Amino acid sequence: MFEVVQPGLETSIQDYPGRIGFWNQGFPPSGPMDSWSFRLANLLVGNEPGAAGLECQYMGPTLKFQRAGVIAITGADMQPKLDGQLIAMWESVAVKAGQTLALGPAKLGTRAYIAFAGGINTPEWLGSRSTFHKAGVGGMEGRALKPKQIVPVTSAKGTTGRKVKPEARPTFATDKRWTIEVVPGPNDDWIDKAGHERFLSTDWKLSAKSDRTGFRLDGPQWTFTEKATNKAPEHGAEPSNIIDQGYPLGAINLAGQTPIILVNDGPSMGGFICPYTVPSAAFWKLGQSKPGEVYRFQSISVDKAQELRKRLNALCSASSIV
Amino acid sequence: MAEKIETMVPGNVWKVMVKPGDKVASGDVLFILEVMKTEVPHTADAGGTVTAVHIVEGQEGVDAGTVAVEIG
Repeated sequence: MFEVVQPGLETSIQDYPGRIGFWNQGFPPSGPMDSWSFRLANLLVGNEPGAAGLECQYMGPTLKFQRAGVIAITGADMQPKLDGQLIAMWESVAVKAGQTLALGPAKLGTRAYIAFAGGINTPEWLGSRSTFHKAGVGGMEGRALKPKQIVPVTSAKGTTGRKVKPEARPTFATDKRWTIEVVPGPNDDWIDKAGHERFLSTDWKLSAKSDRTGFRLDGPQWTFTEKATNKAPEHGAEPSNIIDQGYPLGAINLAGQTPIILVNDGPSMGGFICPYTVPSAAFWKLGQSKPGEVYRFQSISVDKAQELRKRLNALCSASSIV
Repeated sequence: MAEKIETMVPGNVWKVMVKPGDKVASGDVLFILEVMKTEVPHTADAGGTVTAVHIVEGQEGVDAGTVAVEIG
């Protein structure tokens, strides 16, 4: 168990793969945005890779432990300190009752993950402990952490001094530039050839108006095929309007002229076209990028996206821990 | 003692509460950034007089670690 002293910026309880199976009823999966770092943190403390832990964004929390245990911190470098002493990331560390863990602002990357041996033990909702704050479900009282909350952790031993092999860790961009894989569709035939070429050859800037619902991108105007400009009136007036449809997770949703990547807490349906979709294996890069940083999109096939997912899943296993 | 207040997160400048010459106390909110549609207030660590303000309201895309306000 630990007490929240300072909550940080929208720190939330997440598990992996999150709330799966309710997308058709409007519930997104939620879960950690960088599931690579998240799963490794759990493996370090001896948990199942999907056990509930904390996602810290931009500025980490300060926590006071009420019981001895083992923790691991991965993801963005928030310079974690235990009773004022810097502790190693990507490594399992012992904590004693009464000790205080403080994470600062993210130096490299954006989201850090804290795993606790045994896992956070808040009640599940629709099969998951992940926080989905828009609906006020999961986590602690359905919201980000608040000061003075006592977060329950299942009692477990855990082993200290376990490390992630360097080659099994994600590498975060130090030059503010990220290559993000995309799969064309579902509505790629609404964008003309020039529009596709522009999308794939432009530096897209991540807006500060981005959160776990959507990642808003600044860039050039889009151009459309006749499918978008000469369509039945029920689709709507704008070229990017389409009669309401289901959205894939990771869809690059075109609202007017603004592309918004629908991420872990995003909507399941709506009336805008989705010319491309970011595959799950590239989500960790979204989760670790900051506003003002630049994306270049690289078009890949569905087969390639599935291969990347398998490769990532293989890295998120006990063989990556020494 | 001179103090430089740096931005803790990257984002847009939502509000700037101080101008050069203002007296501030420890804990006073100097400016508020916006990131993830969330307000992130930045406070003075110590009291003093504001000697410089390097950000303006509405400014977009400020990096983390940017010196925003100086207190003398």
